[in-house]
Amino acid sequence: MSHTVTIEPIGEQIEVEDGQTILAAALRQGVWLPFACGHGTCATCKVQVLEGDVEIGDASPFALMDVERGEGKVLACCATVESDVTIEADIDVDPDFEGHPVEDYVATVTDIVDLSPTIKGLHLKLDRPMTFQAGQYINIELPGVDGARAFSLANQPSRADEVELHVRLVEGGAATTYIHEQLKAGDELKLSGPYGQFFVRSSQPGDLIFIAGGSGLSSPQSMIMDLLEQNDERKIVLFQGARNQAELYNRELFEALDRDHDNFTYVPALSQAEDDADWSGYQGYVHEAAKAHFDGRFAGNKAYLCGPPPMIDAAITALMQGRLFERDIFMEKFLTAADGAEDTQRSALFKKI
Amino acid sequence: MAVQNKKLNLKDKYQYLTRDMGWEPTYQKKKDIFPDEDFEGIKITDWSQWEDPFRLTMDSYWKYQAEKEKKLYAIFDAFAQNNGHQNISDARYVNALKLFLSGVSPLEHAAFQGYAKTGRQFSGTGARVACQMQAIDELRHSQTQQHAMSHYNKHFNGLHDAAHMHDRVWFLSVPKSFFDDARTAGPFEFLTAISFSFEYVLTNLLFVPFMSGAAYNGDMATVTFGFSAQSDEARHMTLGLEVIKFILEQHEDNVPIVQRWIDKWFWRGFRLLSLVSMMMDYMLPNKVMSWSEAWEVYYEQNGGALFKDLERYGIRPPKYQDVANDAKHHLSHQLWTTFYQYSQATSFHTWIPEKEEMDWMSEKYPDTFDKYYRPRYEHLAKEAAAGRRFYNNTLPQLCQVCQVPTLFTEMGAPTKLSHRQLKYEGERYHFCSEACCEIFEHEPEKYIQAWLPVHQIYQGNCEGADVETVVQKYYHINIGEDNFEYLGSPDHKRWLSIKGIKPADEDKNAA
Repeated sequence: MSHTVTIEPIGEQIEVEDGQTILAAALRQGVWLPFACGHGTCATCKVQVLEGDVEIGDASPFALMDVERGEGKVLACCATVESDVTIEADIDVDPDFEGHPVEDYVATVTDIVDLSPTIKGLHLKLDRPMTFQAGQYINIELPGVDGARAFSLANQPSRADEVELHVRLVEGGAATTYIHEQLKAGDELKLSGPYGQFFVRSSQPGDLIFIAGGSGLSSPQSMIMDLLEQNDERKIVLFQGARNQAELYNRELFEALDRDHDNFTYVPALSQAEDDADWSGYQGYVHEAAKAHFDGRFAGNKAYLCGPPPMIDAAITALMQGRLFERDIFMEKFLTAADGAEDTQRSALFKKI
Repeated sequence: MAVQNKKLNLKDKYQYLTRDMGWEPTYQKKKDIFPDEDFEGIKITDWSQWEDPFRLTMDSYWKYQAEKEKKLYAIFDAFAQNNGHQNISDARYVNALKLFLSGVSPLEHAAFQGYAKTGRQFSGTGARVACQMQAIDELRHSQTQQHAMSHYNKHFNGLHDAAHMHDRVWFLSVPKSFFDDARTAGPFEFLTAISFSFEYVLTNLLFVPFMSGAAYNGDMATVTFGFSAQSDEARHMTLGLEVIKFILEQHEDNVPIVQRWIDKWFWRGFRLLSLVSMMMDYMLPNKVMSWSEAWEVYYEQNGGALFKDLERYGIRPPKYQDVANDAKHHLSHQLWTTFYQYSQATSFHTWIPEKEEMDWMSEKYPDTFDKYYRPRYEHLAKEAAAGRRFYNNTLPQLCQVCQVPTLFTEMGAPTKLSHRQLKYEGERYHFCSEACCEIFEHEPEKYIQAWLPVHQIYQGNCEGADVETVVQKYYHINIGEDNFEYLGSPDHKRWLSIKGIKPADEDKNAA
């Protein structure tokens, strides 16, 4: 049994299981709330309950005062919920977040194409248009697969009644195996969306860097197509990382965009191209390509990262050493069963990266 | 369609509440108003990038703290009325409180002064307000700690003049000089030293031992103080993180300056915490965890994760952390054997650990305790049994920087004394380690002014030339009551009488 908790002022919704704390559920579902001790004594995670029934739990009387209890304040690290609940937390609302409502859709498979030996392009037609921001994702339900799976939208918002997904086959992954091996044109699927906080911050000045790895090209593709369609004048550089030429998909699409748009530059990088005589592009990891291209100095740009955790991690380090910081870096981590457990212990130095 | 938020979020509310705190001066130059802001070479290009690590208004601060104090003092009262001191594990525990009250509580007061002064130096309002808030917290902590422990002063010796002792007693110059060093630095070094290195990186190694130590040994008053302080400490820690991020992000020229400060203040903090290491392993009758275990969890693991993240700013782990990591197997034993032999000049008692305690240490320090330290205690115990309880009458050589006696050993060579010396303008200076020597070399003009207790005694500045006069008259340590061996001390006799083990000694009636 679970309840929905809406977190204001950002409006994100999370599912909280019986007995699970609001903080644990939020962090698991990728919503950051301020916290420190995690066991009810420091009061860093104090939130205001606006609506619904919340059990205060084991909050220390020195961390959550009687007057605050009376006002409906709770500590998210101890509090459990007994109904659907709305809380207000000390987090910043993003001025670029448009807050399009999440709705359920029925989609029909129109095409499944091979993008690379491990990645398929899945094209769907929606029963009605969906309004979303380029970079956001949907949750899709697949027959025989427990729970919905998240995939980023690769199509730009102007193609509102379509869905394009890039799906990498994950070994042992039920959903991706189903898509790769059983799904066919004409099948109907249920999906919901749009979700997520990954989108271009147009209110923030600065040129744009996109760093994509593997099937993480999807969101950047949507964002770049959208920007160029809208004649955005900022300089845009896309770094796309892959192992080899076969895995480097949609290359022609971006090479064409590079030719047609003065403000767009495409830099593919292959990490295993030592023996590839055909390859005249960058050899090495994608973050190294970015470093080389910008001569290690990224100040003045905003960076958008999408790909597997090790790529994200290496890219953040490269960007920060080149003087971009947390406020300049946005990302979508692609966590799959194959990526294994969460990383090792993290400090509290960074909130979002 | 986007839904407009009808409510201001907390950040906006806070901004509206505080924005008038900063204004552009019209008839004075900014540089004259904030003369210390750039003297350390730290470059701040844009104060508006400062992100308030917590958003607290005075109004809510008073409300919140008032309720905390009400609860806290209710528990102090209950503790006193129920003679809570009779329910602690053992009277030896009170010696940990004597060390805390004379070594740590005055630092809270020094922190209050430090933040009040430092906050004044910043032209950015966010940093200014955060420092001011922390200054008030620190003043409260100093007061509530003294109140928490004042009950013990009615029943045990050595707690009667902690602030005076902090200024004068030889080993208390270790914490005192630590904070004086920070307070006499520039504003950004102060924040790196105290907010970041101390409050963020090392604070768990101070508060967990003392507060969990209190809990394990039945000291409700001190435990409750710990709970009441924890929500403040969480704010102090977030300030430490914001400070370091802010300085590092403002300009790349700041990175090497901050690196040197981290190297220095990690080491200064580590040396200061050596006092805590002995408290943890030796002064707590019921032990929480060993110093080496605490070091592994709170520094090697948590600090490791932090420095891994800081690497992204071009910051590497503190230069001498390998020495500190190696020292975890030795530190507490080297400190306690030193204090054991200088107990004639301390405001607390020392003793030989009991058999079960030594076995605990063998288990916690399998590679070092039986090999290097147990034989020393066995020897000292034999001497004491033969009526020759050992006191060392030669005053120790103190390190010019950390002011700890030069008692430590070299990394990887536990029987080799670590000692460095150098000459500066014709004078020779002595150090406990390479790290302290390096700190001196960078700012010799600062450290040649150090007030070293042993030197001061020899120079005749401490009201006498012999230990007895200095201890009694200059330190205000009551001879025969506060100092010397625990076994047979008035504290020990009183405890036995409380526990009904032996009739009270008659010396009180005689008086």
